[in-house]
Amino acid sequence: MNFIKRAALSMKAKKGRTFLLCAVFSAILIFVLAGLTIQSAAITATENAKKSVGASVTLSANREAAMKKSQDSTTSTKPDPGSFSLTPVSLADAQKIAALDNVKSYSFLASSSAGAGDGITPISTDSESETTTSSTSNNEQAVNEGDEQARGDGQMGGGPMAMQQQSDFQVSGVMDLSMLSDFSDGIAEITSGEAISEDDVETNNVVIEQTLAEANELNVGDTFKVTDPEDETKTYELTIKGIYKTSENGDSMGMQFNFLNPANTLYTSYTFANTLKGDDATGTIDSASYTLSDPKAMDTFVASAEKLIDTDSFSLQTNDQAYQQMLQPLNNVASFAKNIVILVAVAGVIILTLIVMMTIRERRYEIGVLLSLGESRFKVVLQFFSEIIICMVVALVIATFSGNIVGNVVGEQLINQQSQSAQQTETNQGQPDKMGGDGQQRQGGPGGAMGRIGASSVEAAEAIQELNISVQPKEIALLAGLGILISFFSIVLSSVGILRLQPKKILTT
Amino acid sequence: MLQTQEVGYWYKNEDEFLYKNVNLTFQRGKMYAILGASGSGKTTFLSLIAGLDLPKAGEILYNEESLKKIGLRNYRKNDVSIIFQAYNLLPYMSALDNVLTAMSISSSKQADKKTYALENLANVGIDEVLATKNVTQLSGGQQQRVAIVRALCCDHELIVADEPTGNLDEKTSKEIVQLFQKVAHEQQKCIIIVTHEQEVANACDAVYELKNQRFELVK
Repeated sequence: MNFIKRAALSMKAKKGRTFLLCAVFSAILIFVLAGLTIQSAAITATENAKKSVGASVTLSANREAAMKKSQDSTTSTKPDPGSFSLTPVSLADAQKIAALDNVKSYSFLASSSAGAGDGITPISTDSESETTTSSTSNNEQAVNEGDEQARGDGQMGGGPMAMQQQSDFQVSGVMDLSMLSDFSDGIAEITSGEAISEDDVETNNVVIEQTLAEANELNVGDTFKVTDPEDETKTYELTIKGIYKTSENGDSMGMQFNFLNPANTLYTSYTFANTLKGDDATGTIDSASYTLSDPKAMDTFVASAEKLIDTDSFSLQTNDQAYQQMLQPLNNVASFAKNIVILVAVAGVIILTLIVMMTIRERRYEIGVLLSLGESRFKVVLQFFSEIIICMVVALVIATFSGNIVGNVVGEQLINQQSQSAQQTETNQGQPDKMGGDGQQRQGGPGGAMGRIGASSVEAAEAIQELNISVQPKEIALLAGLGILISFFSIVLSSVGILRLQPKKILTT
Repeated sequence: MLQTQEVGYWYKNEDEFLYKNVNLTFQRGKMYAILGASGSGKTTFLSLIAGLDLPKAGEILYNEESLKKIGLRNYRKNDVSIIFQAYNLLPYMSALDNVLTAMSISSSKQADKKTYALENLANVGIDEVLATKNVTQLSGGQQQRVAIVRALCCDHELIVADEPTGNLDEKTSKEIVQLFQKVAHEQQKCIIIVTHEQEVANACDAVYELKNQRFELVK
């Protein structure tokens, strides 16, 4: 251990050199630590993102296969619109998939329409009423035909576009209202009463919009009647379980058709929506959505689920867009932080090697004396290594206290850049409108409102903002390891010179 | 104890050799002097027998074993102590630490190294106050004495010294020579001194003179 004592004595005697080494090492370690903490924070945020967002898989009718089937069944080159049909999803199959591992939550959706009965009048304008009650014959005929086609042989009846002439309300049958993205994103919220939940299966409970409730002087616990979309004489009494308000304004279509007005959306259990569709729809749903606890295992989940269904009739659509959106900026930050660590570490090795090499040139005489006394070259190298390690320990302490500050400053800037970049990308791409992407599902697609179930970009933004940069013992340990590695490489590279030194040459020159 | 067998040395060309076919024998309990003019190759010869370099020709045997076989570092560590003309002390240490460092490297068997080192330093006039001072604060003569004590404290059987009294006053020089004699005769060590001082040479048991590229026994 004599070399350690020599190292300590040498450092004490050469205070300037020791200070320089400590300062350089501190600078290196501060930046390495900043990189490590940012990287670690980004990884933690990614893990949290996985937990909070998950990924969703939607089970619905295989529209593509149905279209192909429709084409095959006709001899002409263009498909016959009348032959197109979708098989409703079996509730039993949907429940089997829900029982698979990795399902964090799930929800079923069945959408339908209903007419206004006793005790309720839909929100509408005068002209709108005209439109809904006395539409042009051509238009009515066309829609009725489409409607009939849609309702025939147990198809997915009830797409909003199919009910535009005679329906007053869009009925969204759900299993858990809180899972709808409108509600989870805060676009809609329950103002009184409770949301539709699994307990409402097989009940006639309903959640209605605040404006609709106020216009009809309805409160939680009140009842009203709606008519069957196919048979106006058939009525159903609904009990108001909750009232919600929505910031959704609807669109121009909503001014013309009552059921497209966001205020005229009734949320019921999926079983009630099925009742409105008729007996053929019993034991079926339009679609089922599953939120997975681990987005990484999505492919495995889909493979397992596909074994349980007829893939010719049904399809599983994966949606981890929110997760991927969230992942991109975090990955960018993590990648940048990793690059910082690598670059600073490499630069550190180079800088320290040069300093140690210069030091060794100054210390040739000392090396010569030690070698002449019979000291091994290895122990001479160990002495220099000890000196570097002592400086590293000092630098490690300095870095531990200041790395947090630097990490936060650099990290904050990175996050701001990434957030701005993400926002800019979103702006450039445009907000999802009602008719595109997400909106397509709302407008009569098999997923209907269920397409909105799952994560949103709001959560992605939150995760980016929530990057928590703090120095943890794990990072300090990693930093110490890296510091030792940097010291080792700088000494190994410099010691090539030491190993070549001959005591006679040194001492005689 | 130490033998040179047909030793020869040259720097660039063999034709320009410093000496060739040197066959000398050095024994325990004796003090030897090597005399010679400046540039004759005395210090180079000393570096060969001190294990700092290998001869270009021939072999050096220590206790009948070749230095090549022993290994130069092992030889320096365990068998030989060197006193340099330029002292070659570690400048960032005190006199005491310099001695202790050498003792530690040579794996000295002294139980209390510090006391032993301080006693030996005191024998050459370096008291504890001086001993704990940084060597750069000591005079040339004091540094030379520290270098001598460093060599003696390692308890090696062979001590080679290059102009050990060159920086000492006459009185101290005599004292050091007497100390060498005592160590050589009483502790049965072999001391080889390269010098150009006749007085030092006279105090030695045997004297070789390097003249015309040859070693001649003159005493």
